Amino acid sequence: MLEAFDVRKHYGEVRAVDGLSFAAVPGEIFGLIGPNGAGKSTTIRMAMNIISPDSGEIRINGRRLAEEDKAIVGYLPEERGLYRKAKVEDMLLYLAALKGCPAARARKGIDSWLERFGILEWKGRKIDELSKGMAQKVQFIGALVHSPRLVLFDEPFAGLDPVSQDTLLEAMLELKAGGVTILFSTHIMEHAEKVCERILLVHRGRELVSGKLAEVKARHGRNAVQIEYDGDAAFAQGLPFVESVTRYPRWLEAQLKPGSDPDELFRALAGRVKVRRFEVVAPSLHKIFTSLVGESREGADAEAAEGAIHE
Amino acid sequence: MSKALIIAKREFLATAANKAFVVITLLGPLLILALTVLPSVVSTSGVASAGAVVAVVGGDGATRIALAAALAPAKAAVEDAADEAAARAGIASGRYAAALLLPAGWTDASTLRLLAKTGTDYALYARVEGSVAAMAREAHAAASGVDPALVKRLLSAPGIDVAVPGKEGRGPGGGLDQYLGILFTVLAFVMLMYMTVLLYGQLIGRSVIQEKSSKTVEFMLSSVSSRQLLAGKILGPGLAGLLQYAFWIGVAAAGIGLLGPVLHLQLPPTLSSGNLLALVAFFIPAYFLYSSIYAALGAGAEDEQHLTQLAWPLMICLMIPMVLLNLFLSNPNSAVSVFCSYFPLTSPIVMLIRVLVSPPAWWELAASYAILLASVWGAYVLAAKVFRIGILMTGKRRKLGEILRWAAIR
Repeated sequence: MLEAFDVRKHYGEVRAVDGLSFAAVPGEIFGLIGPNGAGKSTTIRMAMNIISPDSGEIRINGRRLAEEDKAIVGYLPEERGLYRKAKVEDMLLYLAALKGCPAARARKGIDSWLERFGILEWKGRKIDELSKGMAQKVQFIGALVHSPRLVLFDEPFAGLDPVSQDTLLEAMLELKAGGVTILFSTHIMEHAEKVCERILLVHRGRELVSGKLAEVKARHGRNAVQIEYDGDAAFAQGLPFVESVTRYPRWLEAQLKPGSDPDELFRALAGRVKVRRFEVVAPSLHKIFTSLVGESREGADAEAAEGAIHE
Repeated sequence: MSKALIIAKREFLATAANKAFVVITLLGPLLILALTVLPSVVSTSGVASAGAVVAVVGGDGATRIALAAALAPAKAAVEDAADEAAARAGIASGRYAAALLLPAGWTDASTLRLLAKTGTDYALYARVEGSVAAMAREAHAAASGVDPALVKRLLSAPGIDVAVPGKEGRGPGGGLDQYLGILFTVLAFVMLMYMTVLLYGQLIGRSVIQEKSSKTVEFMLSSVSSRQLLAGKILGPGLAGLLQYAFWIGVAAAGIGLLGPVLHLQLPPTLSSGNLLALVAFFIPAYFLYSSIYAALGAGAEDEQHLTQLAWPLMICLMIPMVLLNLFLSNPNSAVSVFCSYFPLTSPIVMLIRVLVSPPAWWELAASYAILLASVWGAYVLAAKVFRIGILMTGKRRKLGEILRWAAIR
């Protein structure tokens, strides 16, 4: 279990992390989400004891984080950080040795992971001969070869093709089932939505929202309904509990007024058009983020943040 | 195995497997051999002219006997040549190194011609000239009715043989030989120190930059502390450097031991095992001092160009001994020499020069070495602080002062 208590880190005037608290528990994928520059990297660095917080505390399994804990932590950086001239197996053995993992055990683990990812025959090749996807897989193995109990993934899917993404996701879910604590850091909200059970949305070093993903969505639901239909639904725009409608000939999305029930819309539609699909849409994390940023800051700031998300 | 040692092992292998390392390691002994053997080649009493034959056209038997006596110390011989054509043919065929043309009444000529094969064997030509001048003087004296013995007596003056107390009789000859022996040994040692310390320092600085810009460093720091990383990064190439020195000294010793007798080379007394030991003893702290600083600057630099800009004070300190070499050689106990032999960034090379030229008192050596070792430790501790901060800082080309101030951050 990884816990942070009111952690702060300032660089001069810049408040990189400004009072974050969270808990990532074993068997759960915890999402650390926010645009670039929100303080994710600084948080991860503190969680790995690369830098220490100015104030607050980070605990691992209830103890204050110490240098020895690096042996049970695995880290997958966003960028490729492998020695380009090194051979795949040598590189992985080196990383395992630095984690204090005996060579014999590391060799076994390396072979089984390479086989699983279908790159066993690349074992003796140099890193710079690998494609980006393969290098990311090797790095993934490097983060896991010593069987860590806490793994930090920083944008693990960046630059990966969908098949590789699935392979990595599958491996992550397996770790999760094995009781490993997983921290998943990303600025791509769609990724977080697919993977994380619990999230911490950060903006400018501060918490924007946190909790179980489903609860966060419920709390910040904007009451949108998507409908596929046959017939003429022009009347929907005039309904008293509807705020706005985006309408196409066979599809519409209606934004309901606060406090109104989607049931009312369903009853109003029934009989006047033929409803083929009726879905209460949970808001995307992206929408939640932009609306929260919009609430807390004035327009220009929100736009800047949105720009960052789409980078 | 400690993590720093695991990193050092990898860095050692990465350094030693490098092509440049192999090339420099193999070429090093040639440099030492060339520079330490050169003095006996260029010195006037050297054996470069051994076996050379000087032909004489004209003159009489006495002339040839006198010339042969003058050339004997250089192990060169004298032969008769029938005429200029024969002399030219002999030179062309390589039989003669030179041919002296003595026309009738040559003692009164203003210049004489000496045909030479190469035109560069000045030691040999000087001996011929000296001998010819002496003979001409005797002839003039005899013609003027003056006793030749008196003339010889009038013109004779003692030469100077420079000797350093405690080193008498060990050199291959007079003062010039001794000077050249010291000069070339000093040159060889200074060049080796300069090259290796600079090369390794830059190598470490570059590898830090590479690791920083490729973000490998975060991956590394998730496993080890920044101090362990720095220690390993400095220690690894350092071991490769020691291996290089051991190879050089071994090969040079073997080469001189085996080839020396065959080529009639005499070693300058400065190339003693004690002085070689001093070379290694000064290389080690110099290496650690410069490498620590280079690693810290590498951590603060954005790219290699930036590193070069930041490292100018180091470059200057490394170049001072080369620029002021003449001063250190001729006056090793001057105020500047003494200061530079205590100042840690120059002391490894300057104190080494002083040891070679005129060994200082033991307490001077001890004090200088103590200051050096303390500076190595201090530099490492400060470098670790700068390294820790700098290694995670990217995106801005910082000034040297700003980077050095990181050492003060808790």
